[in-house]
Amino acid sequence: MSASAGKTFTIPVGPLHVALEEPMYFHIGVEGETVREVDIRAGHVHRGVEYLTTKRSIYQDVVLTERICALCSNSHPETFVMACEQIAGLEIPERAAYLRVIAAEIKRIASHLFNLGILAHLTGYDALFMHAMQVREIMQDVKETLFGNRMDIAAMCIGGVRYDLDDEMRAYLVAALDKLAPEVDALAQTYRRNRTILRRSKGVGALTKEQAIACAVVGPVARASGLEYDVRIAAPYAAYDRLRVTAPTLVDGDVWSRAMIRMTEIGVSIQLLRDCLRDLPDGPTRLPGRPDIPAGRAMGKCEAPRGELIYFLKTNGADEPERVKWRVPSFPNWDALPFMLRGAKIADIAIIVNSIDPCVSCTER
Amino acid sequence: MTGLPQDIQAQLGAAAPGGIDYSATTSPHGAVTAWCGLGNSEDILAVGKALLKLGARLAMVSALQPAAPEEAEEEEEEAPAEGEEAAAKPEKAPPMTFGGTPIDGKSYEIDYHFVLGGDFLTVVAYVASGGAIPSLTPYFRSANWPEREIMENYSLVVRDHPDPRRLFLDPSIDASALERLIPYSTLVNAASTKALWDQVLAAKGGAS
Repeated sequence: MSASAGKTFTIPVGPLHVALEEPMYFHIGVEGETVREVDIRAGHVHRGVEYLTTKRSIYQDVVLTERICALCSNSHPETFVMACEQIAGLEIPERAAYLRVIAAEIKRIASHLFNLGILAHLTGYDALFMHAMQVREIMQDVKETLFGNRMDIAAMCIGGVRYDLDDEMRAYLVAALDKLAPEVDALAQTYRRNRTILRRSKGVGALTKEQAIACAVVGPVARASGLEYDVRIAAPYAAYDRLRVTAPTLVDGDVWSRAMIRMTEIGVSIQLLRDCLRDLPDGPTRLPGRPDIPAGRAMGKCEAPRGELIYFLKTNGADEPERVKWRVPSFPNWDALPFMLRGAKIADIAIIVNSIDPCVSCTER
Repeated sequence: MTGLPQDIQAQLGAAAPGGIDYSATTSPHGAVTAWCGLGNSEDILAVGKALLKLGARLAMVSALQPAAPEEAEEEEEEAPAEGEEAAAKPEKAPPMTFGGTPIDGKSYEIDYHFVLGGDFLTVVAYVASGGAIPSLTPYFRSANWPEREIMENYSLVVRDHPDPRRLFLDPSIDASALERLIPYSTLVNAASTKALWDQVLAAKGGAS
């Protein structure tokens, strides 16, 4: 061992790795057990979806964009149709604005619970992992019941939404939230107090506020490092300007803080859903007919579960858009990983990578 | 968190000696979406510096090749039907962008999407085919990946990029992927058409 003291070695993590849900290759320089250098090599699930959007009609793209990613599948068409509506100057009906919030918050809860579950799994606490996934199952059932599908819910269309809630469905959703809320509270207690979770996540993979600004990170990663930025508050869309959205922030920027931001946000989402169900106005759920999208350019942005999602849309009056470009929240967040991983232990690499809630298929498109 | 300052247009104008083409709209919710075309694409560095001082975040960089005007496209497709017009067209110079870059289907438009508070400011630079643009990565870390992606998708040169490696595409893949037509059967490695079967037969020496 003495011969190797002070020497650095390079180890590969990925592209296929038991702890990564999707393929990503980390080229990691280590000194003993400590990470010194990180190089991220991407591209394993690059599919050229941006190119495909310009070969399909704008209406087909609403369907296509939902298939970029699974966990934030609803956010993609949501932002894409917002950009279309901007170009066409469309104002969606009130009821549709609330229904958009409902769809988005249901997806957010399910997405956050998934990430929290994986954190437990990576710490080796599989009983908690299974428990978190069981709690998440409540929201999966909600999606299956309301939208007929557990992941791609096909809720969005240009000019409104493609689903509606009758009294029976509203009562069902209220009952599901009543069942979910105490379960989430109990989970939160565990994540706050359990020593296994705390030991593996407190002070691990810290990202300072200055680093967070430099990397331009967004979403729970930014808010865990003290950046108060949430699109729902900074630039409200749908019905968020009429709802009370709070964005929790923490200052430590470690794995635990990012997990707790997500945990707190689940509570905010449950409250938003309750408020929406209470205030849901009557009226149409979408504009009649199929709106024409003239030539123009627009920017759309929304708060996806992982943070700010941006769409740039340029049309030229044809059925196919001239260019669709999007930047998913994971895209800038990857860049924060070298800061988080430097000085970390090899055993913590997977936990730190998971803490940015990375979405590879979103990033590479 | 504050949005774009009131005098943003004047500030951008002062930073870009090549001139700017500024326009802005405000959404019903109060968020501003501003667009700022640059007369000279080299001004992007000075504009970037000014925006960095304002605390703007570079959220995304998009690149595209604006299509040449429709007449030019139709000319190829419907040449027999419109023979008279088609003959006259090649003489016509393509229209120009702000700043005088020809929109010939080969020039580039690079959109730098900045976020300030809840507001968007997109700075648009135009570069002629075969041209180059300075890298913003020295000022904005978040320009690194997008610029690498642009370099692998187009033949556009991003000057002085500190790390000009491929991002998503393997180095063995030919350059400027978005400027070439790639047949679908090639894209999916012939997995979905009879091309794969043809390859198998060819390997066997054409015996069926």
